[in-house]
Amino acid sequence: MTSIELPAEHIQRIERDGDVVAARQTGRRIAAEMGFGRPEQALIATAISELARNIVSYAERGSITFRAEDHAGRRGLRIVAEDRGPGIPDLAQAMSDGFSTGNSLGLGLPGTQRIMDEFDIRSIPGEGVTVTVAKWISR
Amino acid sequence: MAVRVPILRQGRTLIASFQDDLSDSDILSLQGRVLEDVIRHRATGVIFDVSALDVLDSFGTRTLSDIAAAVQLRGARMAIVGIQPEVAFSMVLLGLTLSDVPTALDLETGLALLARAVP
Amino acid sequence: MDDIIASSTGGHGQPGDGTADQLRWFDITDTDRRRAEALAETAGDVADEIIEAFYAHLLSFEDARRHFRTDAQIERVKRAQQTYFRELLSAPLDAGYVENRRRIGRIHERAGVTPTLYVGAYAYYLHSLGHLVMDRRGQDPQAVPLLLSLIKIAHFDMAQALETYVEAREATIEQREREMSELPTPVLQLRDGLLLIPVVGTLDSYRARSLTVKLLEGIRDHRAKAVVLDITGVAAVDSAVANHLIQTMTAARLMGATSVLTGLSADVAQALVKIGVTGETLRTAGDLQHGIEIAERLLDG
Repeated sequence: MTSIELPAEHIQRIERDGDVVAARQTGRRIAAEMGFGRPEQALIATAISELARNIVSYAERGSITFRAEDHAGRRGLRIVAEDRGPGIPDLAQAMSDGFSTGNSLGLGLPGTQRIMDEFDIRSIPGEGVTVTVAKWISR
Repeated sequence: MAVRVPILRQGRTLIASFQDDLSDSDILSLQGRVLEDVIRHRATGVIFDVSALDVLDSFGTRTLSDIAAAVQLRGARMAIVGIQPEVAFSMVLLGLTLSDVPTALDLETGLALLARAVP
Repeated sequence: MDDIIASSTGGHGQPGDGTADQLRWFDITDTDRRRAEALAETAGDVADEIIEAFYAHLLSFEDARRHFRTDAQIERVKRAQQTYFRELLSAPLDAGYVENRRRIGRIHERAGVTPTLYVGAYAYYLHSLGHLVMDRRGQDPQAVPLLLSLIKIAHFDMAQALETYVEAREATIEQREREMSELPTPVLQLRDGLLLIPVVGTLDSYRARSLTVKLLEGIRDHRAKAVVLDITGVAAVDSAVANHLIQTMTAARLMGATSVLTGLSADVAQALVKIGVTGETLRTAGDLQHGIEIAERLLDG
């Protein structure tokens, strides 16, 4: 795989329904260009879909940032989903399978954690939620 | 909003082919239209062809499950056909097993599946 | 002993990291080295004698004898032994020495010389040298300290050889595991709509992932309605891999194909039960033949 001219960072604003679709298409395209296999592309697109929908459903607006990373030959895609919404009142509960407060949370977060290699979530009540996930290209 | 999922009719079976990467509202609008059509055409079966989709996330899967349950309440059966390999595996990892909806490889096997189910 | 290890690791790295640390670990000092060197002058005369005696001893063993095919080979090895012997007493114990000793150890390991033979040979030399020292300098108050120095150096030397044995063994195991996990997984079409995937070798998480891709793409490409996944030839399945198999079969169902898992060992069956799998969620069959019959019934039904 040659090194491709990727922008170091790509930001997608998430404000409405259609942005969720745009975000996962962008994510899949970047993942494909980086050399991720088709199964990994699908996992990445699915994770983005979950994260972007949570922004639309709970915070109304936010952004998703894509960052191609290279650490000592290990290449990966880092995705940061940020919003300025109300935050998640009970993180532990949100991270347990089967939980749902609105019409779409539920499996979203724990499932996203399962399909990505790294997962980090920070929530400050009244200030917003930041979810950072990453997937590395396997050998 | 433009109708992005046309619903075709073959005998008493309705076929909805998902053409593209769908937004949540596209899927929600489909829900209402399918249920209306089942009643209007007295359909016995509904097939959702998702072979063109490259993502089926928790919202999409849950909505398909809901539609299947509602279709069943109207006396018809529903099958989902054409889930792609990588989509299927992503769904399983997400914990979405769609255990209450019959699935088939493609339209042809889906039609055969529904034909067997309705004598 | 615990204290020594604790203080060694605390301040100066593991004993065994670097030659200087190793010498400290074996407590080999300049004094030890000087004593051995002094002996080298005397031992030089008798090295031939000791080595001859050693080979007479060695060749009286069937196992050892089969390492040698010709007399010329034995002569060559004896000459190499003289160098080895001389170096043991007088070569500077530096990184070059350690590397040389390890190289020789690797040659012996490859030739099939067992650790027992190796250590036994050291014991023989040490014992012969001991006799030599006591015969010639029995009255000298320095004789016993000299013997103690020799013991330290011989053990240091032995450790180098044994390290290469462990390294070689690890490399062999790694190589074998890699070969096992690189075995191709064929997708066989038994008849229209029926696939058989026999899995042989080690099913690590990397290979389990590629198995998933092959199985799911096989279903799409062959328009399969049933898949028999036979794991009779799989060495071990831990619960992570078992979980992965279940997920793969669930994904196959989402695509519209039923799968039957055959060839479960008792261990694998237990691993599956441990992660909460029951006969209802997973179609299994005791052997491959039975599994294929089940799959055919599914196709015809």
